[in-house]
Amino acid sequence: MLILSRKVGEAIIIADHIKIRVLENKGGLVKLGVEAPDQVIVHREEIYLRILEENKKAAMDSPDDLSMLSDVFPLQKKE
Amino acid sequence: MNVLKQDTDQTEAEKNITVQTSRFGEIIVDKERIISLLTPFLGFPESTRFILKAHSPKSPFMWLQSLDNPQLAFVVLPAALTGLDFRPEIPRQILKELLITADNDKDILLILTIPKNNPQEMTANLLGPIVLNSRKKLAVQVVLDPQKYDPCLRLFPAK
Repeated sequence: MLILSRKVGEAIIIADHIKIRVLENKGGLVKLGVEAPDQVIVHREEIYLRILEENKKAAMDSPDDLSMLSDVFPLQKKE
Repeated sequence: MNVLKQDTDQTEAEKNITVQTSRFGEIIVDKERIISLLTPFLGFPESTRFILKAHSPKSPFMWLQSLDNPQLAFVVLPAALTGLDFRPEIPRQILKELLITADNDKDILLILTIPKNNPQEMTANLLGPIVLNSRKKLAVQVVLDPQKYDPCLRLFPAK
């Protein structure tokens, strides 16, 4: 892992078009400003992992047949 | 005349593609119904083309079947049919990329997690819903605010 030290106000640049600047460091909370093209998606790690985990679970668990869902649950499409 | 006819036949053939799926076997897909993802689902980077398959005409549950990974299929439910008051703010940039200009172009689908032997414990992912432009067949999973939205909300709580 590349480790860089930065002071508040300083930044790092990744691959010419992504800039991450340290904006504030207060009481253990570091605020970062990320400048990146629109197509670059930025997530907080724990939220990214939460969604990833839920996606995997949804894809793994899905039942073979959905018929029983319609029988059991009172959801009906409006005609 | 002959030439013209040949052209028509060719167009017909090109209208559909045949795709292998592990759940439904070989399926024939009308190319116009293929949904393209702006970015793949987290965890499934290889899949960008999907098809929505209704379970039955009456059922609100649908399959979102990948055309790139035969094994990948999610069960989804339109948020509007859940009875939940779920109208999240979608970032303007995402609406723009999905070419959504009016509210009726926008559909929100919830991915369901359904325990195999216990379907009544199914949960819906409100933190990462799918926003779909059904007219243009463009979709993306958005990540909302975790303070507000539950990634596994039970749809049918035990009574």
